Amino acid sequence: MKGEGFLTRNISSFTHTLESVISTEDLCRALGLLQGLDPRVKVATFVLFIVMVGLARSLSILAIIFVLILTLSFLSKVSLGFFLKRVLLFIPIFTAVIALPALLITPGSPLVAIAGKIIITEQGARTAGLLFLRVTDSLSFGVLLILTTPWTKILVALRWFRIPPLLVDILGMTYRYIFLLLHTANSMFLARRSRTIGSFSGGENRRWLARALTTTMAKSQHLSEEVYLAMLSRGYQGEVRVLNALSLKRRDFLWVAFALIAASILLWSNHL
Amino acid sequence: MHIPDGYLSLATAGTMYAVSAPFWYLAVSRVRKVLTNRTVPVLALFAAFSFVLMMFNVPLPGGTTGHAVGGTLLAIVLGPWAAVLGISVVLGIQALFFGDGGLLTFGANCFNMAIVLPLVGYFIYKVIASNTEATSPRRLMGAVVGSYVAIVVASILTGVELGIQPTLFHAVDGTPLYAPYGLNVALPAMLIGHLLIAGPVEAVVTGGVFAYLQRSHSSLIKADAPKKKEGKLWLLWGALGLAALATPLGLLASGTAWGEWGVDELQNMGLGFIPQGLQKFAGWWPAPLPDYGFPRMGAVIGYILSALVGIAVVVFLLWMLGRWLSRKNLPKQGVPSKEESAG
Amino acid sequence: MSTLDTGHIFEAKNLNYNYPGDIAALRQINFTIGAGELVALVGANGSGKSTLLKLLDGLIFPTGGELLAFGQLLSEKTLKDRTFVAEFRRSVGLVFQDPDVQLFSSTVWDEVTFGPLQLGISKDEVLSRGKEVLKLLNIAHLRERPPYLLSGGEKKKVSLASVLSLHPQVLLLDEPTTGLDPWSQGNLIDFLLQWADKGKSMVFSTQDLDIVEEIATRVIVMGTEHNILADGKPEEFLSDPDFLLRTNLVHEHSHRHRELVHRHPHLHEYQHQH
Repeated sequence: MKGEGFLTRNISSFTHTLESVISTEDLCRALGLLQGLDPRVKVATFVLFIVMVGLARSLSILAIIFVLILTLSFLSKVSLGFFLKRVLLFIPIFTAVIALPALLITPGSPLVAIAGKIIITEQGARTAGLLFLRVTDSLSFGVLLILTTPWTKILVALRWFRIPPLLVDILGMTYRYIFLLLHTANSMFLARRSRTIGSFSGGENRRWLARALTTTMAKSQHLSEEVYLAMLSRGYQGEVRVLNALSLKRRDFLWVAFALIAASILLWSNHL
Repeated sequence: MHIPDGYLSLATAGTMYAVSAPFWYLAVSRVRKVLTNRTVPVLALFAAFSFVLMMFNVPLPGGTTGHAVGGTLLAIVLGPWAAVLGISVVLGIQALFFGDGGLLTFGANCFNMAIVLPLVGYFIYKVIASNTEATSPRRLMGAVVGSYVAIVVASILTGVELGIQPTLFHAVDGTPLYAPYGLNVALPAMLIGHLLIAGPVEAVVTGGVFAYLQRSHSSLIKADAPKKKEGKLWLLWGALGLAALATPLGLLASGTAWGEWGVDELQNMGLGFIPQGLQKFAGWWPAPLPDYGFPRMGAVIGYILSALVGIAVVVFLLWMLGRWLSRKNLPKQGVPSKEESAG
Repeated sequence: MSTLDTGHIFEAKNLNYNYPGDIAALRQINFTIGAGELVALVGANGSGKSTLLKLLDGLIFPTGGELLAFGQLLSEKTLKDRTFVAEFRRSVGLVFQDPDVQLFSSTVWDEVTFGPLQLGISKDEVLSRGKEVLKLLNIAHLRERPPYLLSGGEKKKVSLASVLSLHPQVLLLDEPTTGLDPWSQGNLIDFLLQWADKGKSMVFSTQDLDIVEEIATRVIVMGTEHNILADGKPEEFLSDPDFLLRTNLVHEHSHRHRELVHRHPHLHEYQHQH
């Protein structure tokens, strides 16, 4: 059933994406530690954390950071299983696989010998560990940010950080329409699968794919024209004006203090 | 091809942000000029479309599947600078929301996939298609070849960015701190994967959609003949750009170019004596960028930046020369010369 | 509202509109709409109803003839004057047929406050209008929801709310009841009647003759030749079956009684003899 595999794979990846959005929306509104912080503070401190992860040189520090991340996720009402699945699935595992050869080929002092012949070097072990932990920690911060902050609030934070409003407007509207187009594309796949009795050849699939993509492209173009008119109709004159309803609370200052202290500790430990 | 956080050092990540910034700036001003008030809805909807396109799992003959980027296709349909912005937006959403690509490595990912990819693809498309009509098969070939080459070039850049990490960023005992494989592993790995799988996927998707557009929506394909001068200018910039990008490959070649030996190299070659003249003049011209490196920067990045600076200086001097010469040719009545009016 | 003549709402004089490529969309359209009128635009698909509504909202401009709103010409040039544009956009609101076009913002709250914000209304006033309009349509609980997580009926409500927050004098609606279940349709009709009760004007396009009878004070019938076939009170045409058949407003329905085939127009108040 060659043809069916192709359709099913696409349908499941589209559906999975659509569903992950819905689950995220709920979590953003839970009453947890991170949800209560100002989005500007969160974005700034999380970027700082990721930079710190990039500067760290010790495996133990990176491991401690991961424990810290798990604690934060717990305090923010994110279930452990859900979080780990979201983080570890794919990229860190993929990284682990990529890093495996490095255990063996990195030159240096031998650490462990397997079956007497295959030698894992100290440097190899360390470099694989550093890469894996760095990747996992950085990704975790990103995931935690997204799970605890509504997308619209992130956009407000970006605007505050002086990212050009044009780009922020585009980001917001792109995100909004991704789901519509995903849904449309998914419906096309579902319709085709329901009409599939045998299987299609690779060539037929590719031709159908080209048609499906072109249809989606034409729909995007049509939508873009109509949306422009809808914006004009309600007074759009080139730049979206927004309400800025953010204010800093005491817990934001405490959090910033915490972040700065953690960063200093890490930088100091680098020099040990 | 999305590089996650952790694979690149902060210095590399920062440099790639710096290199991307002028392109973003240029893209915003160019797109705004053409689309004016329509910029937000047009770019947003096309970025959304790009996102969906990147999600499609494409089957190849032989059973493998892959994902396309579609940067060249977008550049052909919307224009190269709109493609730069559109793909950057998509990469931003992928990085922020889906963790596909890091936040610090966003600059590098954008440079590879949102800037170089569409610009190279568009350039090759324009060269092959030149001013044939919208439905011509040459255009289709331009789209297919352009998209294939563009993604391969992007993969080379990715390979270089990853491959230079161990040499430049390691602990005292030699442990690579970021991506652990050198150029001799990273480059071939990226190249093979993209020459054999991702490249064909990109070509199939781009060609398939473009062919379909030619049949049913040919009005979407702009077929106006580029002004002759503009075409040649594109060619020149493109060639220079590609040459600049290829310069770090020179690092792979050990040894120094024939005839450009410095004094110590001559001594090592076995020359018992140093020609007197050479000794007197060596070191006389304190070049601002000795050995093509910027102080305190990675060798490869320094190489590329030197190439770009060199090109910029040469172009500037040529332009000055051109202005000076054309001023000499100005007819007495104050009628602007051909160069002035077309410039 | 000073420069706008709120007596005459719209005046169309020999209006023509062509799509690029000289494809006719509207031909020789003439009418005047005054304050307080509730006008139904009916006609088969492709007769140009949506195009006419967009022209009335100053989003596209005629290729021939003239269109005046509140006594002022609607043209590309006149709509470059910021003061006029602001007043016009405040006074006229268009609810698009496709809610996915109308709802381009990230959340319901962003959507309903978009209009007032763009028009430079003060922040406090924007906040109060947003809350007011959410309450009016019973959608306050949807405030932070993104549009793709709304049901069809909810989307229609938010579309309406996003335009009502402008406090317009004139409401233009493109097929407002299409796709709604009968219960929601009824609710919407009641709501519109209540809204229009305060001397406001409305122009809406529809394929559903039933709601024409319930709301409209006037009907404009468009034909497949993109011109106006009839213009007057609903009672004048809607009980004339021949007229309805001729103008493609109803279809011919046929059923069998054994070997006998009965054909008659599909009307809701028709009785036939066997």
